[in-house]
Amino acid sequence: MSQGGKRVQKKESIIQAALTLFSVYGFHKTTIPNIAKRIGMSSGNLYNYFPSKEILAQEIIKYTSEVLGEEIRKINQQKKLTTYKKIHKIVEVYFKMAIEKPEMIEYFLRVYLSHREVFVGECQRMVCVAGFITEIMIFFSDGVECGELRDQDFFSAFGLFMGYLGGMAFLNGEAILSRPLKEYTDDITQNIYNALKT
Amino acid sequence: MPKLKKPTILWLQSITCNGNTHSFFSHPDFVALMQKFEIIHHPILNTKYTLENVANENLTCDVLVLEGAFRQTGMKKANKEIYDIAQKYAKKAKHIITAGSCATFGGIFRQYDTKSIGGFCFDGELPNETYKLFKKKLISIPGCPAHPRWIGSVLSMILTHRQIPLDELHRPLEIYAYNAHVGCSRSEYYEWKIDVSRYGHKEGCLFYDHGCQAPFTHANCNKILWNEISSKTRVGTPCFGCTEPTFPKKNLWHTTTLMGIPASMPIGIPKRAYLTIAGIAKSFTIKRLNEPIIKYKK
Amino acid sequence: MKIKHFVEKVEGETELEFDFKNGIVNNVNIIFPFYRGIEEILKSRDALDALVITPRVCGICNHAHLIASTRAIENGLIDAGVNIHLTPKAISLREFTLCCEIIQSHFKWFYLVAMPQLANLNKLTISDNHILKASWVSINTVKALAIFAGQWPHSGYVVPGGVSCDPTYEEIIQAEALIDDIIRFTQQEFLGISIDEYYKTKEISNINGDMIEILNMLNNQNMQEKGKSYNRFLALGKHLVFKDGQYDQNIYGTAKIEYIKEHIQTGSKAKSVAYENKCYEVGPLARAILEKNDFIMDMHSKYQDSALTRVCARMDEIVKLLIYTKKLLANLNVKELSCTLPKFPKDLEANGTGIVEAARGSLIHQSIIKGGKIQNYNIITPTQWNLSNGIEKTSGIATKAMKGSINTEEATFIFRTFDVCSVCTTH
Repeated sequence: MSQGGKRVQKKESIIQAALTLFSVYGFHKTTIPNIAKRIGMSSGNLYNYFPSKEILAQEIIKYTSEVLGEEIRKINQQKKLTTYKKIHKIVEVYFKMAIEKPEMIEYFLRVYLSHREVFVGECQRMVCVAGFITEIMIFFSDGVECGELRDQDFFSAFGLFMGYLGGMAFLNGEAILSRPLKEYTDDITQNIYNALKT
Repeated sequence: MPKLKKPTILWLQSITCNGNTHSFFSHPDFVALMQKFEIIHHPILNTKYTLENVANENLTCDVLVLEGAFRQTGMKKANKEIYDIAQKYAKKAKHIITAGSCATFGGIFRQYDTKSIGGFCFDGELPNETYKLFKKKLISIPGCPAHPRWIGSVLSMILTHRQIPLDELHRPLEIYAYNAHVGCSRSEYYEWKIDVSRYGHKEGCLFYDHGCQAPFTHANCNKILWNEISSKTRVGTPCFGCTEPTFPKKNLWHTTTLMGIPASMPIGIPKRAYLTIAGIAKSFTIKRLNEPIIKYKK
Repeated sequence: MKIKHFVEKVEGETELEFDFKNGIVNNVNIIFPFYRGIEEILKSRDALDALVITPRVCGICNHAHLIASTRAIENGLIDAGVNIHLTPKAISLREFTLCCEIIQSHFKWFYLVAMPQLANLNKLTISDNHILKASWVSINTVKALAIFAGQWPHSGYVVPGGVSCDPTYEEIIQAEALIDDIIRFTQQEFLGISIDEYYKTKEISNINGDMIEILNMLNNQNMQEKGKSYNRFLALGKHLVFKDGQYDQNIYGTAKIEYIKEHIQTGSKAKSVAYENKCYEVGPLARAILEKNDFIMDMHSKYQDSALTRVCARMDEIVKLLIYTKKLLANLNVKELSCTLPKFPKDLEANGTGIVEAARGSLIHQSIIKGGKIQNYNIITPTQWNLSNGIEKTSGIATKAMKGSINTEEATFIFRTFDVCSVCTTH
């Protein structure tokens, strides 16, 4: 593997470790030495990759957003899918992530939304989640353009969609749901579709 | 040396408001330019031949300028269908210029009856039967009205045998390859996605909320300016997309959005690329661009 | 004997159907054979679309249409309970740009209509100089207009609540310089005397320049005795520079909009319009009489509403408006708001009327808006007042003026003294 390739791999493993620790212990209680220790690296070396805990936190949200955005992009590009089918697939992707990588969702809820003070400067407002937001915007505007979704303010549609999914992921994380999360996919798709359709 | 014969020009109007005639009359070199032609007929200049002569006789015509929308029957001048008069001279002419959006695509007056009214060679963006006959000598100069320099420059290019590359709607690329946004004094606000709060401010962009069509309208208005001095967007009015075959769209003072996202993208920019850049730009609050650029003392 | 006469270069064309009796014009039928359907095009469109569509009625007085359509909406908003208050800045800018449009239109009439047509009538030949002058003066006048309005023709800078531009003093200075150039032109070329002298004497015999040629040619044709109509005048638009009102045979009154009624005319696609069932003349002469302008009142007492008086009123209006535009610019305060209406109400329900004094006279726009959409739109143009064929058995303003004329050429010139606009009549 090339030097560059190794560096990218290392970066990803730091992000993965930090993601886990941040989502379990929260932003303030997690320290750079904790993260370094978890992957058998010196703190000094870790600083070569991320100059501060804040920047690392920002990189994580970018990384998470890009992973999710990439999945939705694949759905958006399937031009033949109906909007209903697209919603179904987005719900599937989200729930799959909530089940397989709960730390990503946890991170988003516990760190990104709870510590807005960390996400300033180069990570203001939507900058670090642009990868994900852009795809959701395209999904919405395509849905309106083909006449299946009702035209409305972006945030009123976005809040309904993502708030609902986030809420279900949270309930699942708290082990409150009576059935496995995946089994809710059809109903939730139907509810979202009903709420947003023309 | 024998005096070279001037080429003849015939300016013929159909269903029009005369806006292109008056626009072109505001060209700083209007007189000098027209003196290079022998004018067969013109709507406001005193000419050798009357419109009745034009309608009933078979006069010479090297350059035919058409203004106004056409219908094949029901629009007579001097007892002749104006469409037939236009056809007669179009056959003889070496160059046909459709001046303005009405003559080119049908424009505003097409809206009265889209089935029977259209441009001379295009109905909206679709070429019609007439197009087949004259496509080889057709130059489209849409605009409502056409900018004086667009007409003036094309006439000069014809006189000097310059190459005039055209797009698929026969619009000269040297004019219409630009979009109307290029050169807008509000472009910084466009880049940083800051909308004008209300009409009447020099600050702010009109694209997001106020219906400005400049980024997807083929025209060089903000490059060469109107009346040598300004443009719609420079004085805070949205561009209404008047050079396009879709003019006039509906809800001209409101941006058409799909779930809050502009429905029309700048020419050639994929929605994903636009939204990525827009999302990032919107995330920053630039102080200078959010306050008046000039502060007057009370 | 009936003679059909095709008239061109009247912002389009029209047909005059003369009825001669004993060698003089006994009656005239003015025929506008085509209707362009602007009012139909507006139906079911967004209320504000009228600001873009209606200027396209006319290439030469488009700006007046823009302001009339905005005033109709503003009037409707007031009707719907919205507070509309224009700043002095917005009012002055609208007045300025409107005046510029009137000035260019009047100059075009003198240089592109009066000069060549009078030369024809007098069997004189003239050089192409008049085209050059018309071009120069209109280029510069509309350039001054475009500093604020963005472009001419077909600007869209007048919006409900004010104007869309936000000029700087630096731009105002550019406009002032252009107006100064036009004033210089008016003194040196058009009048041949200074505006001070013009105002001192107010005698047409002192006028020189291009105007003296026009006046001589009018005089040769005895135009001080010809082209007389009913001596009834109307100005309906409210402006700082014009006085609205009604005048009928030396009696002044207030103009009431409810007395205005349109009538369908057989054979023509243009509707006629009447006030209290009578035809009234609109335009520069009407405005001069209503504001009791000494110079024109003096001419009017000598020559009544003859072609000469009508032409002189147009000339005098140019001078008056040039002085006025300078004053407007000098007093413009850029610190005031350009537009005071923060947001246009959604789903507006309103009925509104907007009236403007355009180059050729009073222009009326009426709109009925339901749910934010135009349900009905009606436009009454100045030329409908002047060029109708009359009410019932009585002649219209221009047809009355042409009566008694000795041939079609002379009658057609008299017709042209109303500054005919075919496209406005056939909106």
